[in-house]
Amino acid sequence: MFGQVLITEFAKLRRCKVTWATLGGLSLGPLGIALFMWIVREPGRAAQLGLLGTKASLSGIEATWPSFVYMLTMIVGVGGMLLLAFVVAYVFGREYAESTAKNLLALPVGRHWFVIAKLVVAAVWWLVLTAVIIAESFAIGLALNLPGFSAGLAVSAIEKALLAAGISYLLVPVIAWITTLGRGYLPPLAFAIASLALGDVFSHTGWAVWVPWSIVPALIGMVGKPVGTLPVGSYVVLAVTFAIGVAATIAQLRLADNTQ
Amino acid sequence: MSAETVIATRSLTKRYSEVIAVNGLDLDVRRGEIYGFLGRNGAGKTTTIRMLLGLIRPTAGNVTVLGERIEPGQTRVFGSVGYLVESATAYPNLTVRENLEIQRRLTGAPANATAQSIERLGLGEYADRRAGRLSLGNKQRLSLARALLHAPKVLVLDEPANALDPAGIVEIRKLLRSLADESGVTVFMSSHILAEVAHLADRIGIVHEGRLLEELDRDELDARARAYVEVRVNDPNRAAVLLRDAGFTQIEYTADGDGPTVHVLDAADRTAEIARVLVSAGLELRAMTPTREDLESHFLRLTGEDVGDERAAADKTGGA
Repeated sequence: MFGQVLITEFAKLRRCKVTWATLGGLSLGPLGIALFMWIVREPGRAAQLGLLGTKASLSGIEATWPSFVYMLTMIVGVGGMLLLAFVVAYVFGREYAESTAKNLLALPVGRHWFVIAKLVVAAVWWLVLTAVIIAESFAIGLALNLPGFSAGLAVSAIEKALLAAGISYLLVPVIAWITTLGRGYLPPLAFAIASLALGDVFSHTGWAVWVPWSIVPALIGMVGKPVGTLPVGSYVVLAVTFAIGVAATIAQLRLADNTQ
Repeated sequence: MSAETVIATRSLTKRYSEVIAVNGLDLDVRRGEIYGFLGRNGAGKTTTIRMLLGLIRPTAGNVTVLGERIEPGQTRVFGSVGYLVESATAYPNLTVRENLEIQRRLTGAPANATAQSIERLGLGEYADRRAGRLSLGNKQRLSLARALLHAPKVLVLDEPANALDPAGIVEIRKLLRSLADESGVTVFMSSHILAEVAHLADRIGIVHEGRLLEELDRDELDARARAYVEVRVNDPNRAAVLLRDAGFTQIEYTADGDGPTVHVLDAADRTAEIARVLVSAGLELRAMTPTREDLESHFLRLTGEDVGDERAAADKTGGA
């Protein structure tokens, strides 16, 4: 039965503009980095751009592969957390926005299968987005002919980006739960922004690796030096957050009144 | 509850803080019948339907469908239940066919069920049109097609005639009738459209403020319908006195847009006598109509809708 549910969940994305919008949105990230790199490398021509040139030169960023890779992990890690929240809010929230949730709740299919199938859809969607962004970034980096490239750097960058993407994904069931609780798009998006701010606050503290929403900022070094390797406890915290989110979403669909 | 009972509710109650939406409802819907669940807006019809389908949980009481208790985790029985709750909805980015294909997969219906359902509901012309671009009537047809797709034994339909044009209403009425008569499908349908229920239902439950006021078989409805002669005269007060003196004991006043009228109950075969009494006394007899109370009048009387009007009319004419 789960196979059929999964097929229908993917079928719902047909002719769906949101999939392209998320791809377009995230694709702008590497292009933005490329523009930054170009400005830093071409200060004379960048000066003609006025304020933008000034900001770029003030940022202290070098037009090198290590800088490029650092910014890529920022995009996947921080931008990705927001975008992934958007994806999950859409996958779950559309059933309420389009008033179709009631059509799923009295079928010969356990409601938990819908939760799991939607999380799989979000995972595949997120994986495709991440892969496209990584490929796009490397293509742009090579086209800019930045100095400092090495195979080791490339592997480490891909590993870090995938790790950040994976950690971000472990936080999405909580977003799914808030979407089913709030029955719409706004509550999960508000929560995503709030959790990003919370993560930023805690990433300044010694608790950074223990608070689920500050683990990605700590990993990529959003405000300080990257932590390098995360302690096992961080993964336990993330796994527990994931499990609680899944259980809460299933319980919400199974037990709460649907008065849509 | 007999073996023929397909849908049963016992003391079914739903309370939202201070508001009791459904209050101690006991229903028995029998196999192969069309049960019309009639009530005004806010009477508790949709809340009841949601509880029948497990979309919301009762505060008290229980629901049984096809012998299975509706409770969290119940899925088996829903393979035999088709439903439409409140508004017609579908995924707007998917075509009619794609929307139905989702239902087919989720109910485990055979591969040809989608095409059959499209044909049955007359959606062939729109099969490849996105649901978001359908008219309201065709969206309703799509929702009905979804409900019928897996050949359910039980249909739970909330206002099935919504948004359909008159020809569409007749078509759906025939379809539901044939499903009940030929395939033994049990239909539980709610409606606030009295004519729709009167035309289609084998049995009618009248719900008001969350309570079941009355349950009627079609024959019972006919038997209970009150017959009276509606009389319009220039002086309703005097007419009432004259008619009482002539031996007509059950006389009521009422009012409509054309002014006060006198209703003489159980006198359908005595119209000539009524006319003679009134005309010989010099009253101006403007109209006299033998009338049999229909479901609408019965419903309004039962739910208290026309009490105020009658009282107002009685006040105007000096009381009956």
